[in-house]
Amino acid sequence: MTFRQSHLALPVAVAIMAGCIAPLAVLVAFSFYEVEDFDLIPAFSFRAWGDLATSTTDWFLIGKAVLSGVATTVFTALLGFPVALALTRLATSAKGLAIIVLLTPLYTGEIVRIYAWRIVLGGEGLVNTLLLGLGLIDEPLKFLLFSPFTIGLVLTYNNLPFMVLAIWVSAEMVDRRLIEAARDLGARPVDAFFRVIFPLTTPGLAAGSLTVFALSAGEMLTPSLLGGTSGATAMALVDNLFGTAFDWPLASALALALLATLFLVASAMAGLLLRLKGARAVIGRA
Amino acid sequence: MQRFILNRRQMLGGLAAGAGLSLLGPMGRASAAVSEIVWATWDSNGHPEYVEAFEKATGTKVKLSFLSSEDAQFAALKTGSAADWDVVNPSLNQARRYIKAGELMPLDLTKVPNLAHMYDVFKATEKVKGEDGQTYAIPYLWGLNPIVYRADIHTEEPTYSTLFDPKFKGQLAMRDYALESIAIAALHIGIPRDRAFLLTSDELAEVKKALIAQKPLLRTYWQTIGDLTNLIATGEVTAAFSWRVPYDALKDKMKVAMAKPKAGIMGWCDCFAIPSSLPEEKIETAYKFADYLLGADYASTIAEIGNYATTSSIIRDKLTPEKQEAIFIDDLSVMQNFMWPEAPENYSEWLKVWNEVKAA
Repeated sequence: MTFRQSHLALPVAVAIMAGCIAPLAVLVAFSFYEVEDFDLIPAFSFRAWGDLATSTTDWFLIGKAVLSGVATTVFTALLGFPVALALTRLATSAKGLAIIVLLTPLYTGEIVRIYAWRIVLGGEGLVNTLLLGLGLIDEPLKFLLFSPFTIGLVLTYNNLPFMVLAIWVSAEMVDRRLIEAARDLGARPVDAFFRVIFPLTTPGLAAGSLTVFALSAGEMLTPSLLGGTSGATAMALVDNLFGTAFDWPLASALALALLATLFLVASAMAGLLLRLKGARAVIGRA
Repeated sequence: MQRFILNRRQMLGGLAAGAGLSLLGPMGRASAAVSEIVWATWDSNGHPEYVEAFEKATGTKVKLSFLSSEDAQFAALKTGSAADWDVVNPSLNQARRYIKAGELMPLDLTKVPNLAHMYDVFKATEKVKGEDGQTYAIPYLWGLNPIVYRADIHTEEPTYSTLFDPKFKGQLAMRDYALESIAIAALHIGIPRDRAFLLTSDELAEVKKALIAQKPLLRTYWQTIGDLTNLIATGEVTAAFSWRVPYDALKDKMKVAMAKPKAGIMGWCDCFAIPSSLPEEKIETAYKFADYLLGADYASTIAEIGNYATTSSIIRDKLTPEKQEAIFIDDLSVMQNFMWPEAPENYSEWLKVWNEVKAA
């Protein structure tokens, strides 16, 4: 067998498959077990799957995970495009600095960021104090913290760098002459964006979208510590079932259902994005 | 022919004992059999200074292994990943789970003379006994989980119903924990204390309604006690079912107080227990440690530094009235109002209700 470049990926591919399939196989096996007096008993029981099928709470939370992932993806894409395009216009020396600044939030731990958000958005926090001081409001805006708004804001903020980086890399590869040609032929800037830049950056958008979707749909800490009473997530429920409830079969079934749902949604997203004309043009080029 | 097998644990123990011997010389020789025991416990129960007196008296070092959660402790014992733990720390309300699973060793109580000083309410508990009638755990440290509140905002001492009062909308918090939150709602809707953990399905449905109605009044559900302390310190929450920690942390900075609702005070209690796998040669030391936890040295240091009371009355009369009050032993009738959160038979139903409330 002749050695090809693609063979270099084999060891990593094998590791990923093993690291992914082994735990999944364990989850599948556990989902058919029974629990008695805090003992897991190997069995072929459909109890957990039955419980899952009839639980509106579980499916509501899975739906919420999908919604949260899709919403965060859309928000980060809308905000990320202008930032990524602006990055391509910077001088090479400034680009490095800009990327470091862009990633700054990621250097602090998640818990630190969460408590910082509380200080910024709280009833006696920075934003409310400022607005009260300016006389724009009479009472602190309570919805800023511990609400679905907070979850959306923080997930968007946390994931924005991943979207920007992915789009930026794609945007850097767009041949400037194509944009200039479009403008020379009378395209307005907005047309040049939608008909030249956007199609050619869809691979970056796809990569960013899939990353952001995966990271935000499975997020548990931010909703639970900043989402207030609306912070329930499927992930936290899985955690609760594995730990407090010691119901490993149901936890496994729920985890598998969540995984399958997110996988399907992510596949649909990838399919849609990569079917776009520009993506085919770029990827087909390789 | 008897085979001699030296497992990893004995091997390590032997090496450690050897090292101890050579370092300590003649003094170490007396206790050479056990140079160290590992105590799995909460960080609040096991500061190094709390065990200093034991180490001095016995020459055995106490290595502290801090727990992250009760569930993690149980899982570690269950899966065998806690092989180096010599003494463990089940809570009174979960002790039966460990006993049923066969994780604990039956105890010979004659080896713990300080049991004589234990308050009756702890002596009498059946929760540490197995179906065989033997005792598997010894309660040693306890406290109350009060409502911590801002005394400048709540002019009347809060009750559990305060946590359901629309007057305080947006300033209240409950713990994200089915057992206590459901029991509190049960007390609020008038279910008596002795039945708060024995709810029928119909009662659970009523409790669920109360908890869903409470949701818009809550600022949030708190996750960890540090989380709640932060919420009270930043003015987000003015009353919450709590542990005493926020009170101790904030009492010098703001007007906070603790309420002990008459409807029933949630108590917590930690137990001493020995994993059933503990090697023979360490058992005597483990018993000595149990006796130490019920003795005067541990009680004095933890009362002084941590503001916690042990289950022993051994030093109560020597404490100042202020200290007695601080650790809830000034008025011993408090023990008549105890409610021990206990996982009910239909616990999975409770958890389901709680998850439904949170997702509602």
